[in-house]
Amino acid sequence: MGRTLLIFRLVLADVRRHPAQAVMLLVSITAATAMLSLGMSLHGATETLYRQTRAATAGPDFVAFSPGSDRTATSALTSLEHAPEVVAHSGPYRQFSTTLTARGATANVVVQGAGATPGPVDRPLVTSGSWVRPGGVVVERGFANALGVHVGDHVTVAGRSLPIVGIAVTAAYTVYPWAEMGAEGPGDNSGLVWLNEPDTRALVSANLSVTSAIYLKLRDPAATQAFLDSHRASVDPNQTTTHFVTWQFMVVQDSVMLKDSQPILVIGSWLLCFLAIAGVATLAAGRAAKQTRRVGLLKAVGATPGFIAAVLLAEYLTLALLADALGLTAARLAEPALINPTASLITAAAGPTGTTIAVTTIIALAVAALTTLGPTVRALRTETVAALADTAHQPQHRAHLTRISAMLPAPLLLGLRLIARRPGRAILHACNMTATLTAIIALLMLNAQPARGYGLGGSSSLTNLKVDQGRHMMLAVTAALIILAVINTITITWTTAQEARPTMAIARTLGATPGQITAGLSVAQLLPTLPGALAGIPMGITLCLIFSAGDVTWPPAWLLFTAALAALPATAALTAVPARIAARKSVAQTLSAEAT
Amino acid sequence: MNEFGGVVRVRGLFKEHGQGQGLVRAVDGVDLEVPAGQMLAVMGPSGCGKSTLLHLLGGLERPSDGQVWLAGQRIDTVNERGLARLRRRSVGFVFQAFHLIEELSAAENVELPVLLAGRSARAARRRAAFLLERFGLADRTRHLPWQLSGGQRQRVAIARAMANEPLVLLADEPTGNLDTAATLDVLRIFADLRAAGQTLVVVTHDERVAATADRLVTMRDGMFVDDTQLAGRTGRLDGLIGLED
Repeated sequence: MGRTLLIFRLVLADVRRHPAQAVMLLVSITAATAMLSLGMSLHGATETLYRQTRAATAGPDFVAFSPGSDRTATSALTSLEHAPEVVAHSGPYRQFSTTLTARGATANVVVQGAGATPGPVDRPLVTSGSWVRPGGVVVERGFANALGVHVGDHVTVAGRSLPIVGIAVTAAYTVYPWAEMGAEGPGDNSGLVWLNEPDTRALVSANLSVTSAIYLKLRDPAATQAFLDSHRASVDPNQTTTHFVTWQFMVVQDSVMLKDSQPILVIGSWLLCFLAIAGVATLAAGRAAKQTRRVGLLKAVGATPGFIAAVLLAEYLTLALLADALGLTAARLAEPALINPTASLITAAAGPTGTTIAVTTIIALAVAALTTLGPTVRALRTETVAALADTAHQPQHRAHLTRISAMLPAPLLLGLRLIARRPGRAILHACNMTATLTAIIALLMLNAQPARGYGLGGSSSLTNLKVDQGRHMMLAVTAALIILAVINTITITWTTAQEARPTMAIARTLGATPGQITAGLSVAQLLPTLPGALAGIPMGITLCLIFSAGDVTWPPAWLLFTAALAALPATAALTAVPARIAARKSVAQTLSAEAT
Repeated sequence: MNEFGGVVRVRGLFKEHGQGQGLVRAVDGVDLEVPAGQMLAVMGPSGCGKSTLLHLLGGLERPSDGQVWLAGQRIDTVNERGLARLRRRSVGFVFQAFHLIEELSAAENVELPVLLAGRSARAARRRAAFLLERFGLADRTRHLPWQLSGGQRQRVAIARAMANEPLVLLADEPTGNLDTAATLDVLRIFADLRAAGQTLVVVTHDERVAATADRLVTMRDGMFVDDTQLAGRTGRLDGLIGLED
């Protein structure tokens, strides 16, 4: 107990001494685990929502559509009611394909005739207002959200203005805008409304396309395919007119809405993990010298290697676990807004699964362990006296780079020599830029793709929610990557400046101006920025091509190059402040501290 | 106005650290003139302000009050950029802890001030080769600092300080980390430099080093308490020979 308490106190003291580093570690890992958790939550999220909606609305296991509403059409459907596998049914109902106009937007709509009391199968859940009544229309929630209409507003259905009396969700149709299920696969984008059955007579006279639908509940909901195989031939011998939809198909179709978002979030989380590792590794390396001295002090007072390792690892591992918890919580809070973009299903986030929690925790711990294990082991292996003298790590001599830099102006000379001190860090910074630019280029590519709106004839008066969702996810991932890249760039500059402080102080005594030192520190970040940013262009394009289906619309090349080259002034601006602060440090104090 | 024709001139120099009850006056009203070609030794107990004085002379720190002239130019009012240029051109520093750049070879360390002065890489290489040969390190040019002995490291540091032919060489305990043989090597170099007309200001604890100077100033509590002209410097240096063992 005493040992654990001592470790805790030492960890707490160190966190208090370096709060900014602790915050940075938290932010990096939180962002990565939140994104990963969200990405993993999307897998199966739609099915969860669909199942919840189905349970709440007594959703059908099986829906059969037959063109027309005459006796031939309905008799084919009603023959299914008596099948031994069927335990309940509703319908047949008539549904009409027409147009609806509201708030200046016109869209295709499926109008379903409904009774004042819904049947035993498919009992839409009214989320606002009331169920259908004469002269009023109930709008499916996803469609209402897209139109921006509420109870009390008026919509024009097939040329007839009707007040909205209610808004409801159902599991008998696939989510907005795929209500047109009468044809093979989802037809053109359509919303769904319910109209009092007598009110639909006006639509019959308007000579609109009409389909009959029946909803069935099976004894074994999983056996929809067997049911279909048994009865398809008797209902539709030619297999040409009647269309069957199972609840399993609806789950698959509904999840198409999130199809673009999942890879964006998962790949985004990989990139974020990489940036988190880069940031934390830089922090750990930057603190290595101090940690080594700390190890020396602990060894000098009799601490065992195991105790010292526990002290060094506990801090990062504890922070990683805390960040993991924060990331999972953030994902849990963001999930409802993400998994149900159309609002056509009941929104009830289930939270991360056990697998998701396990994976994010392992990754968070791995990020912390991978980046701190090396410095910890090195510190433990260092002799006590050497550790106390803080002489454990000396940069390598890079004769070639030193020779090249001698031919350059002072800022470039200093910058290149700073890179030569820690080339690994320059590579890390370049990769940092590549990861960020990959996301930025992918975002530009995604935004360049034409998106067919959900309005009539592909009009953009109604937003394409699927594309919009993908773009929002990409924007969120890119924003998170940019924030981490900004933090990393500042951290790398500051760490480089701290490590090179004695060298820069010596350069000052030899006549280097503070401006040259500042410029040198900036140059040390700018040189790897350029190749890193340029490498992001093909990476971003490749990423988009992998997930794109069909023709790709290319954004202008100048836009991609401008985005990549913008990384240079951005890096210069980010490095200017820490570099300037570092360059202004007292030379005499630095050298005196170095000498003691 | 500075009528003095020497290299260093200081009037009413103060340097304070801290404030309130924690105020420490490291340099307390010092006046000093160092003519060209003179080797001035500054002695005194630890914490008496010797190193601070040296930093003020070289523009590494700014005085709290007073005036500092270097080669007729007042430097206490010059901005950081101007001070950097001044150090580049007119001042060479030698430190007790050597302060060589660890990842650069001996030659590369000496080349650096030449490059910072804007001269070509070729000129820097020539200058470094010349100085390292002059200080007996021709066979150590590619060695990294950790591959050199303390005495060799200090000789590299002196070569680096001399790279741009400064008006004054400011040495802070240059032999503080050296054994007697290495101390003698450094003093020989200083003697050679002085013979060539180089102005030197050497802060030291070592009476043997101070004895080789033209003039000895003693400091206590930030003030000069004694200023003595010394004579027979060659003989004093010769007196040290034989102590290296």
